Amino acid sequence: MKIKTRSLLTAAALAAGAGTAFAGAEDLTIFDWSGYEDQGFYGDYVAKHGGAPSYTYFGSVEEAFTKLQSGFTADLAHPCTDALRKWVAADLIKPIDTSKITNWDSLLPQIKDVDGVTIDGNTYMVPFEWGNTGLIYRTDEIADDKISLQMLADPAYQGKVAIPDAASSAYAMAALATGASSYTDMSDAEFQAASDYLRSIHQNIRFYWSDAGQLDQAIASGEVLMGWGWNQSELNLIWNETPAKMMRDVDKGIATWVCGYVHLKSSEQSDEQVYDMLNALSAEASGKYIIESWGYPHSNAAAFQSADQELIKTYGFDDVDSFFEGSLFFDAVTPELEARMLKEFERIKAGF
Amino acid sequence: MPGVLKTETGKGLALSAPASLYVGLLVAAPLAILVAYSFWTQTYVAIDKTLTWANYIEAATDPLVRHLMLRSILIAGAVTLATVALAYPIAYFIAFRTQKKTLWLLLITIPFWSSYLLRVFSWKLILGFNGVMNSALLTTGAIDEPLTFLLYNEFAVVLTLAHAWAPFAILPIYVSLQKIDRAYLEAATDLGCNRLERFFRVTLPLTVPGIIAASLIIFIPTVGDYVTPSLVGGSQGKMIANLMQVQFGAANNWPLGATLSLVAMASVGAVAIGFVVITTALGRRIR
Repeated sequence: MKIKTRSLLTAAALAAGAGTAFAGAEDLTIFDWSGYEDQGFYGDYVAKHGGAPSYTYFGSVEEAFTKLQSGFTADLAHPCTDALRKWVAADLIKPIDTSKITNWDSLLPQIKDVDGVTIDGNTYMVPFEWGNTGLIYRTDEIADDKISLQMLADPAYQGKVAIPDAASSAYAMAALATGASSYTDMSDAEFQAASDYLRSIHQNIRFYWSDAGQLDQAIASGEVLMGWGWNQSELNLIWNETPAKMMRDVDKGIATWVCGYVHLKSSEQSDEQVYDMLNALSAEASGKYIIESWGYPHSNAAAFQSADQELIKTYGFDDVDSFFEGSLFFDAVTPELEARMLKEFERIKAGF
Repeated sequence: MPGVLKTETGKGLALSAPASLYVGLLVAAPLAILVAYSFWTQTYVAIDKTLTWANYIEAATDPLVRHLMLRSILIAGAVTLATVALAYPIAYFIAFRTQKKTLWLLLITIPFWSSYLLRVFSWKLILGFNGVMNSALLTTGAIDEPLTFLLYNEFAVVLTLAHAWAPFAILPIYVSLQKIDRAYLEAATDLGCNRLERFFRVTLPLTVPGIIAASLIIFIPTVGDYVTPSLVGGSQGKMIANLMQVQFGAANNWPLGATLSLVAMASVGAVAIGFVVITTALGRRIR
């Protein structure tokens, strides 16, 4: 017992020693989704600073916003583009100096152009990963040529549908289903049509999912046959060998989300260290790693050449360009519209 | 200072100081902040601190608020009724019919040994589409397709809450039964009451305080329950707390959320006071 205690103490002393030797590395604090502390995402930072930064986690972008607004401090945070207008308005983040991002030119132009990455001429985000939100369905129950967003309202599928418990995502789907000209700035008539569409599918809804695992399990078991969800769910189902896939036909409607890192105003670390991390996150090697081990597409275009082409095909990112052409992007919705969406969505969910 | 502590008042103050400080800092102060928020308004990312009734008007006129509030009260009422009705016989058994009281009381608290959240998740596993219940019924051939009415509705919420809160009902009722002077029961028998009459005219009226305590302990927290409806309630089982959560989260409208909380508190208070008055009157009447 005594020996064990001593060896533990030695280990602790060693760890403390190591900590002081690379004091800088963990002083950088990142406010992130859980899972993104994976060192494969920022290998260059570890190589240069001799360690990983410190992570604090949030469960949803709204939670992150509330926490930051009430005074939580960190250096970098990881929201998605649709939240950025609000973050800028609340004065939480500062512009990114793109000239210091060595990989800026290699980033996918369509992703860099997404509204929210740049707001009013200032770049606020270094895009990291992106993906799709689309209709995932059981291929053994529904034929590929039959599937459509309108099918969600078909009375034959009562209790067989799940959509997210998130107003913005639901309205993006509704905008695609009803052919609204713009998702971020719908006219009154378009908003009404989208709301009517959501009402028409409410009767078929088994549940409004709040965590993706709930959707994965329900599709895998056959509890629901169609669900509006993230590409991560599709991947989980592929890995689970469930006959299911995402409707990737741009004419039928699919959306793309983009998330990335923002520089918080509360940051106290040197810009040099912050930009080292941003450069490491956007590097080609990080991209290759996230594509291959996570199945998430990365923002760095070069990563798509160096990553395993078979995997890229399986995960459905082999034709990025034509894909972006028809996809709806989760842009930063105007505040008034966002408030209306939230309010109306609560009513729809309650059956009003 | 030692002199002060020797007087009765001094002792009283010293004894109540920690609790007062605790209640003041952690209950009264947040409540005051909540009240202040309810009179302010949210303007996108900032708070407009001009005092206004706007949130109260919105809460009062919005049919959604009324609908969810009413549903929360009905669900909590059903939970209370089910729990107290099921708890009474158990408490009666422990108080009158067994010698191993400590063992039984210990057994009753077993659900508390696991976390509340885990218990809610367990119900999800039991009631789910490919859950324990459906699998069992499918294997025995009682049904051909999984039953879908088990989960994601008010029923699932009532069931889950009733299970989670059962010990809270059993204990106060048990205490009130235990306190009954056994001589009263003998006297009732001597005066010609049969067992049923004895129960309704002596035992039940004497346990009214226990029933009231149990009902309030269950009703008040379950009206505002958030996690159970959000996990097993689906869209038909959502309650007022879920709407509050939206205001404090996605909608980022703390003032409206604060108003909803206060409106809910007032409604619960009114229902609880009404319940106590009626039950006490009923208890007197049967006596």
